[in-house]
Amino acid sequence: MDISKLTIQKAHDDMANGKYTSVELTQSYLDEIAKKNGNVNAYLEIFDDALESAKVADEKIKDGKASLLTGIPCGIKDNILIQDRIASAGSKILENYHAAYDATVITKLKDEGVVFLGRTNMDEFAMGCSTETSAYGVTRNPHDLERVPGGSSGGSAAAVAMNGALFALGSDTGGSVRQPSSLCGVVGLKPTYGAVSRYGLIAMGSSLDQIGPIGKNISDCEIVFNAIRGKDSKDGTTIGDDAYAKKRVGKEKPAIGVPRHFLNGDGIDKNILESFEKALESFKVKGYEIKEIKLPNISRAIMVYYIIMPAEVSSNMARFDGVKYGLHKDGKDVIDDYFETRRAGFGREVTRRILLGTYVLSSGYYDAYYNRANVVRKMIIDDYAAVFDPSVGGVDIVATPTTASLAFKIGEKINDPVAMYLEDIFTVTANLTGLPAISIPCGFSDKEGTNLPLGLQLTARHGDEATLFEVGKDFLGEK
Amino acid sequence: MVDDGNCGKIVNMITAKELEHLAKLSRIKLTENDRESLVKEFDSILGYIDKLKKVNVLLDTSLRVGALRNVVKPDIVSGTNSEDRERLLREVPDREGDFIAVKKMIAQEGIDFKI
Repeated sequence: MDISKLTIQKAHDDMANGKYTSVELTQSYLDEIAKKNGNVNAYLEIFDDALESAKVADEKIKDGKASLLTGIPCGIKDNILIQDRIASAGSKILENYHAAYDATVITKLKDEGVVFLGRTNMDEFAMGCSTETSAYGVTRNPHDLERVPGGSSGGSAAAVAMNGALFALGSDTGGSVRQPSSLCGVVGLKPTYGAVSRYGLIAMGSSLDQIGPIGKNISDCEIVFNAIRGKDSKDGTTIGDDAYAKKRVGKEKPAIGVPRHFLNGDGIDKNILESFEKALESFKVKGYEIKEIKLPNISRAIMVYYIIMPAEVSSNMARFDGVKYGLHKDGKDVIDDYFETRRAGFGREVTRRILLGTYVLSSGYYDAYYNRANVVRKMIIDDYAAVFDPSVGGVDIVATPTTASLAFKIGEKINDPVAMYLEDIFTVTANLTGLPAISIPCGFSDKEGTNLPLGLQLTARHGDEATLFEVGKDFLGEK
Repeated sequence: MVDDGNCGKIVNMITAKELEHLAKLSRIKLTENDRESLVKEFDSILGYIDKLKKVNVLLDTSLRVGALRNVVKPDIVSGTNSEDRERLLREVPDREGDFIAVKKMIAQEGIDFKI
């Protein structure tokens, strides 16, 4: 069985036709993980009941009750709760925390009969772009073990790229599904804010977070997205299918907008710009209209993000006090317990962002930073609305590279926070605006003798994942 | 480090004292070493986000909220069961029966809660 060529549809059809069972398929993935995980460290834990779940899935398949995802093996990011399993969010403070309940996305995938292979590594509390801040070791890029897989969903992206899962779930707050997908050569989707329930996702930035699928191709991501989406009474920020009016009508190809004014910087790798232009050429050949667009406030997006996100982080991290769950360290009195617990449990990056968030929210600075950032956030939302406005000849897709650089060496940026933060330069806008965005592999580039993957990012209107899937499939030649 | 044009004196964007205040607010204990390196890191981070101050905007509340609205649901307890309760309680670091044990918080001799 060559699992490297599988898609969800093919695996489903093969199992329906009795070509192999889910147990055999799951065992193949477990074998691959056994071969590679020692080096890659994509998985923090392999679940001991994976084959049991596969057996149950096989029964469902035999009874003719299987759906597309029944018996399909996947990896789950360490910040998504699976009842009774450890969810540590890559942190020491939750090292032995066992989830009390299933995340809504997990409930939905369990209903489908998916096989959970294990929990994947991540930057601590999803804070990072390289999976280097995990308290449980780095994850290495399967394309070059000396390089990072990206982050914070580096484990999930690496698991799929190394054929250690047919798909995986990650979470995306500023690019954490799309950036590692780009660096690992796989597809990663950040849905419209509210499309997928955050119930059971350990929160980082509540107005920014979304759970998203990572897969080998567009169709697989689409299948998983359709399985995990939906309005959820347990998450008041979720939306139904009808929340956003369908703005694209007619059969013409979507128009693609490129914010060229933002692609002139010296900070963007020449190979990435070259491959991006090639991608645009291939769209032109396929009959797409490419328009130059202006997003006047896009250069401020990173600043806005690194004010709003730490502010929300500082609030969300306050719950980790060693009282109800997680690590507890004794101090000299009840308040000192908190100081000791949080010092012992949080890593450098998490501490940095909590302090930064506390700073921008503190009296005297609130207006200068947080209020201002919120106003500029709204300006960025309006910029995109203008660009997508059909009544003024707007576009349907905004295209940029996913990242400004190729996968960097492990340790290269960890001591330079600002350099690390600039990794998010193309991805944060989708989180600030709530727009759906997808990263699609668009080739390889040679760097110091290794072929490293590059990603193309497409952003669409709120609720218009369908256009992302349509254009993505066309680009990759998927049926 | 930022030269604020103050007779060539170089100042940090944040002082160790300010950082200690933030650490107190966040309930995180920092060592001297932590403070030193964080002051440096904050210099580069704040130096970057500080550029936002130059953006000419009206700090209008209504602009901030925009199209957002609150989503509410009825305040009804939908029921609890002993299994769920056990799943929550088994995670408690200091558990006494069905209770979470915490240290005394009432003012008493010898304990200074001044933060």
